[in-house]
Amino acid sequence: MNVDIDGLFDFDAGMVCAEIFVDEDVYKLELERVFGRSWVFLAHDSMIPRAGDFLQTYIGEDPIVVARQKDGSVRAFLNQCIHRGMRICRADEGNARSFMCSFHGWTYDTAGNLTGVPHEKTVYRPNTFDKSTRGPRKVTRVESYKGFHFGTWAEDAPSLLEYLGDMAWYFDAYIDRYSGGLEAIANHRWIIPANWKLKAEQFASDALHAEISHASAIQVMTPKGTETAETNHAVRAVNATGHQFASPYGHGTGWFDVPGSLHPDPVVANWENEQRENVASRLGALRADTARGHATIFPNFHFLLNGTFRVVHPRGPNEMEIWAWTMVPAEAPEPVKENYARSLTRTFSPSGMFEQDDAENWAEIQRILRGKVARGVRLSYEMVHDPLPSGASEFPGYVVPANYSDVAALGLYRHYADLMSSHTWAEAVEMKLQREAAK
Amino acid sequence: MSPDTESMSVCGCDPASLRELRAQRLLHREAELLDAWQFEEWLELMTEDLRYWAPVRTNRMWRERSRSISMPGESAHFDESLDQLRERVDRLATHMAWAEEPPSRTRHLVTNIRVEPTADPAEILCRSNFLVYRTRSERDMDQVVGTREDILREVGPGEFKIARRTVIFDMATILVKNLSLFY
Repeated sequence: MNVDIDGLFDFDAGMVCAEIFVDEDVYKLELERVFGRSWVFLAHDSMIPRAGDFLQTYIGEDPIVVARQKDGSVRAFLNQCIHRGMRICRADEGNARSFMCSFHGWTYDTAGNLTGVPHEKTVYRPNTFDKSTRGPRKVTRVESYKGFHFGTWAEDAPSLLEYLGDMAWYFDAYIDRYSGGLEAIANHRWIIPANWKLKAEQFASDALHAEISHASAIQVMTPKGTETAETNHAVRAVNATGHQFASPYGHGTGWFDVPGSLHPDPVVANWENEQRENVASRLGALRADTARGHATIFPNFHFLLNGTFRVVHPRGPNEMEIWAWTMVPAEAPEPVKENYARSLTRTFSPSGMFEQDDAENWAEIQRILRGKVARGVRLSYEMVHDPLPSGASEFPGYVVPANYSDVAALGLYRHYADLMSSHTWAEAVEMKLQREAAK
Repeated sequence: MSPDTESMSVCGCDPASLRELRAQRLLHREAELLDAWQFEEWLELMTEDLRYWAPVRTNRMWRERSRSISMPGESAHFDESLDQLRERVDRLATHMAWAEEPPSRTRHLVTNIRVEPTADPAEILCRSNFLVYRTRSERDMDQVVGTREDILREVGPGEFKIARRTVIFDMATILVKNLSLFY
C-alpha cells in the first residue's frame, strides 16, 4: 500500500484531490488509521436504557455489540466469535442475558466475556484451554459525553473530552438544550453508492448546497400565501450572517445567526420558541439564539438542528450506509415529539424531500470518479475566511464569520491527513503543534 | 336493489368477486398513473382523510418478533396526510427535485390482490403485493418490493377511493439510494 497523503491535499490553495473518495488503498488506510484510531459514536443512553439492552453497530467495517450492563455501564466488543469468526449477535437490537454463537455454541455474557463452551471439559485440554483468555476483542476504550457513548480501538487516543475540545460547546447547543436531554424515537437505515467523506464534509461545512440542491423542497414546504420573506425560515437563514467552526481534531459545524426556531413544523417551532428562556438559562443567550445548524464530529457522526443524528458506516470507497436517528427533547409533549419525527421522515430520511437530492449528488460524483482523469482532478475548497480574532466573540475555537465557507471541510481534511500520515496519536498531535508554532 | 345486486345482474358476478374486481381495477389504474407520472390524477384516487404510512422493519430475534415492524408513532418511511402527499407531488412538479430530474422510468407491478369486507359496509380491506422497478439516468436500476394493506372506501355507487394505505417494504436496511416515488 503506497498512499501519498500530502500529494492529495493542498491546504494553502484549498484543493482536495478527488482520488480520496475512490482510491482502494486510501480506503484501506482509512480503516486502519481513521476508523481504527478515532472516537466513533456507538450509542445513546436512550437506545439501550435497561440492563441487557443491546444493539449492533460498527466501527468502520468492524461489527460491534454495545450493551448495557447490570451495573449501568456500557460495554462494547467486536461482534465476532473468537472460535471460528462467526458473527455472534445477529439481531439489530433487543434485550439479552447472553449471546450464543449459532455456529458451535460458544456463549458470551453482555460484556463479551466467554462464559460457555460446549463439551469444554471433555474436548479441550484443561491445562491449555482457559475461557478467560478467549473472548472477542473488547473495544479498547468506551467513554461517554452527556449520554452519547463513543468507542475507540486506540490506547493512545486523547480522552473523549479532549478529543471533542471546543466542539463540546457546540455539541451542547444540540444535545443539552433541555433539562431532560434527548431521546431516540426513530431510526432509518439506507445505503448510498458514494464515499462516506462526502457526507462528513457536507455536515461539517456545506450550507451552500442547500439553496440549489434543495430548491424544490424549500419551495414547496413554504406554506403558500401565509409567509413572507421575513417569516420564511429558509429565506431568513440565507439572508442572515452565519459562522463556521473548525476543530483541530476534524470536527466542524456551521450555522446562520437567526434567533428563534428555524423548524419548518409550526407545532415544533412554537414549542422551541416557548423554551427560549429555559435554554438561555441553561446555555446562555448565544446558544439559545444561534450556534447550531449542521455538524460533524469526526469522522462519521453527524447531526442537524432538526434532531437528526446519524452515524455513517463506510462500506468500501464507493458506498456509505447511513443510520439516522430521530432524537427529540425527552421533556417535550407527545404531539411535539410526533411532529419532530414526522417532519424528519418527510425531509431527512430515505424518502425525505431534502435527503433524496443529496443522494443523487453523491451517487453521481462517485460514478464519475471511475474516470482516470476525473479522479485526478483537484476539487475547489477555496471559500476561505479569516478567523475571528481571539476574544472578538463568545464562540470558542477557530471560528469564521461566514457559514458559506469551506473552513470546516478543510479542518476536517487537515486532521484526516494528520491521521492518515501518522502511526500514533502522539505523532498526529505533534504535527498540529508544529503547524501552530510555525504560524 | 343495492348497487351490488344490480351490478351482479349486469356482469353475473357475486358481491365478493365484484368487490375484488373493483379493487383490482383501482390498483391497476393507480399503477398506470404512477408509471405515467400523472401524480395529480393519482391524488384524486385518495380520500381527503387519507393516511399513507410505511413502517420501518428491524432484524429481531424470534422472541421479539412483534417489534420487528415499527408501530404508528415510531419509525416510518412515510407518514403522510393527503396534503402532505400533495406537497411531494408539487415538489416533483418543480422540476428541481434532482433525485427525479431527469425523471426515472418506473413499472409498478401489483399482484396477489386479496379483498375482505370490514365492519364498515362502505369500506373494504384490500391487501396486495408490489414490485416497483426503476431505471434512471444512464444505468441506474433498482427495485423495491413489499406488501400493502389498503382501506378502500366506496364514495359513489361502485366507485372506490383509497382511504388508508400501509406500505410494508421487505427491506430492513433500505438498499436503494432513496424512496423518491410512491408505492
